[in-house]
Amino acid sequence: MARIELVNVAHSYDGGKEYALKPLNMVWEDGRTYALLGPSGCGKTTMLNIISGLLKPSEGRLLFDGVDVTDSNTAGRNIAQVFQFPVIYSTMTVAQNLAFPLVCRGYPDHEIRRRVDNVAGLLGLSDKMQMPARRLTADLKQLVSMGRGLVREDVSAILLDEPLTVIDPQMKFELRRKLKQINREFGITMVFVTHDQNEAMTFAEEVVVMKDGEIMQRGSPQDLFERPDNTFVGYFIGSPPMNFLDARLEGGTLVCEGLGYHAPVQGVPAGARMQLGFRPEFVVLDGNGADIRTRARVEHVDNLGVEAVITLSLSDGQIVRAKQQGRFRAIAGENLGLGVRAENLQIYCNGQRLG
Amino acid sequence: MYRDKYFFLLPGLVVLIAIIIFPLLFTIRVSFSSWDVFQPGLDYIGGRNFARVFEDTRFWESLLRLSVLSVSSVLLQYVIGFALALAVWREIRFRRFFRVLFLVPMMTTPVVMSVIWRTIFHESLGPANDILQAIGLGTVPWLSTGTAAFISVLIVEVWQWTPFMFLLLLAGLVSLPREPYLAAAIDGAGPIRTFLQVTFPLMAPITIGAIIIRLIEASKIMETVYVMTSGGPGTATETSSYYIYIRGLRDFQIGYSAALSLTYLVIMIVSLTIIAKVLARMLLPREG
Repeated sequence: MARIELVNVAHSYDGGKEYALKPLNMVWEDGRTYALLGPSGCGKTTMLNIISGLLKPSEGRLLFDGVDVTDSNTAGRNIAQVFQFPVIYSTMTVAQNLAFPLVCRGYPDHEIRRRVDNVAGLLGLSDKMQMPARRLTADLKQLVSMGRGLVREDVSAILLDEPLTVIDPQMKFELRRKLKQINREFGITMVFVTHDQNEAMTFAEEVVVMKDGEIMQRGSPQDLFERPDNTFVGYFIGSPPMNFLDARLEGGTLVCEGLGYHAPVQGVPAGARMQLGFRPEFVVLDGNGADIRTRARVEHVDNLGVEAVITLSLSDGQIVRAKQQGRFRAIAGENLGLGVRAENLQIYCNGQRLG
Repeated sequence: MYRDKYFFLLPGLVVLIAIIIFPLLFTIRVSFSSWDVFQPGLDYIGGRNFARVFEDTRFWESLLRLSVLSVSSVLLQYVIGFALALAVWREIRFRRFFRVLFLVPMMTTPVVMSVIWRTIFHESLGPANDILQAIGLGTVPWLSTGTAAFISVLIVEVWQWTPFMFLLLLAGLVSLPREPYLAAAIDGAGPIRTFLQVTFPLMAPITIGAIIIRLIEASKIMETVYVMTSGGPGTATETSSYYIYIRGLRDFQIGYSAALSLTYLVIMIVSLTIIAKVLARMLLPREG
C-alpha cells in the first residue's frame, strides 16, 4: 500500500516529437479507487504502464510513499496489473496460476497455500482450483488474472487496464462489486482504466478524465456529471452528452435567444466563444419550476424503456436533448415548454467553465 | 442443370491426375512387376518384390539410420534455431544483419555446399583437421570411418537447415502477444520462468509445425549423402532414399525399387502422422 505521486511526469514514444503523456503532476492517495477515463489513445495505458514500471517515463519522477522509484523495475515496485485480455499460464492449473507470483518471489509453501486459498475464496474460484486454467471461460480467466495480483497482500496498488472488456454485461456488474469489496477489505489502491463512463462512474471514488495526454478534469463522479470543467468532459460523460448552446455577448450581457437567456457576465475576453451547458437530465419539460424558460419544437422521441430521450429544436434552430424517466408521448412538430434551473446551467468560455 | 460445373473442375483434375495420381498408380503397378534392365516390361509377379523388401536387411538398416539421422538433426536444428531466434528477437545491434546472415546456408544449393563441406572435412587437405591440429586435438577421420562420416552428414544437415527452423521460430516469436510478457514481469518471473511458462507454451503450435515440416524434409535427405559420402564408408551413411536410388537408378531394378518406394512411403505417412499426434498431445493444451 502506498501513496503514488507523479512529479512532472511526461512520456513520448518518439523522442519528444509528440507526447503521449504531457507533463503532469498527480497524486494517487492510498486506499482509494480511481478511474482513468478517456477516448482511445488519450494516454491512459501509458500512464498506467509508467506507474507499473513497464514503461520508463521520458521525463519526471515517480514517488511511492515519497521514495523515488522511477528507475526501479516492475518487480521492485510491487504493483499488480490486470490487462484488457486475460493472461493465464496455460500449462498450469488455477491454483498454480494464483500461486505463481508467490512462487516467483520464493514464499514458503504453507504461506502460498494460505494466501491462494484466501484469494480463491474471495473470488469464488475455490471449486475450480485443480482445473487447467486454459479451460476456464474468459470471465473466469480474468478473475484468475486479478487473483494473481491479489495474492500479494502487500501490493502497493492494483492497476486495471480495461479489465472488463471481455466480460459479459451481467458478470461485469458482479466483478465490479467484487473489486470494490476487495478495495474495502484490503485497502488497496485501485486504478481502473476504462473508456466506458458507466464503469468509471460506478466504480471509482474519483474519476480522472484524459484527452490527448492531458488531464481534463479530476473529481468525484458527481462533480464530473454536474459541473464539467470543460466542454470535452461534458460531451464525454453522460449519454446523451451535455447540451451546449451557442450564446452571444452583447456589452456585458450574455444572450441566448433560443433559450430566452439574458444575464450579465464578467471577466470574459472579447471575441471569446461563449456556450451555455446543461445536462439532458436537468431539462424540465413544461418548464415548471425552472428559472429559464422557453418553448421548443419536438423533433423526435427515442423511448429507451426506462427512460426517453427527446430531441427538441429551439426558435433559433439550436438542438436540445432532454432525458425523462419512463415513456414519453409527444408528436413530432408539437410545441412544448422547456426550462432549466439556473444552478444546473454552466457557462463556458472557449470551452472552459466560468466560475 | 449443374452438371456443367464438373467441366470447370476438369483443368485442375487433369493436372492432379497427371502429376500425382498417375505416377502413384503407375508405381504401384510397376511394384508388382519384375521390370529390370534385362527385362523391361510390365509383367505380373504378384507380391514377390514386397516379400523381398521384408527380407532386405540393407533397406531396414538404411531406414533405421535415416530415422536416427532425421530425428537427431531436426532436434538439434530446433534447439539451435530456437536459441538463435531468441537471440535476435529482442532489440540487439545489427539485428537485421544477423537475420540475413543466418539465412545464407539455406539459400545455397545443397550439392554446392556438400562439395564445400566435403572439402572442409577432407582428411589431409581440409581446414577442419588443420584447425583441430592447431588446437592440439589431433585429426579426425571425418569421412572414412562409419561413425565420423555419419556425424559429418549430421553436421552438414544441421548447418544447412537450422536457418529454416530459425526463420519459422522467429516468425512465431515476433507474432506473440505482448500482454503475457508484461503479466509475467509483474508477477515477478525471471527470464527462465518466463521462457518455460510463457514463451514455450505459446510457441507450441509453431514448434509442432516446424518440427513436422523439417522431419518430412529431412527424411528425403539425398544430395548431402550422395556428394559427401555416397552412402559410405560401406553403408554407414546410406539412407532410405539413397538406397532406393541405388536400386532403381544404378542397378535398374525398377520393379523392386518401386516396391521399396511404396513401402517407404507407407512407413513415412504412418510414422509422421503418429509423431505429429504425439507432439500435439505433448505440447498443445487440449480444450474442453
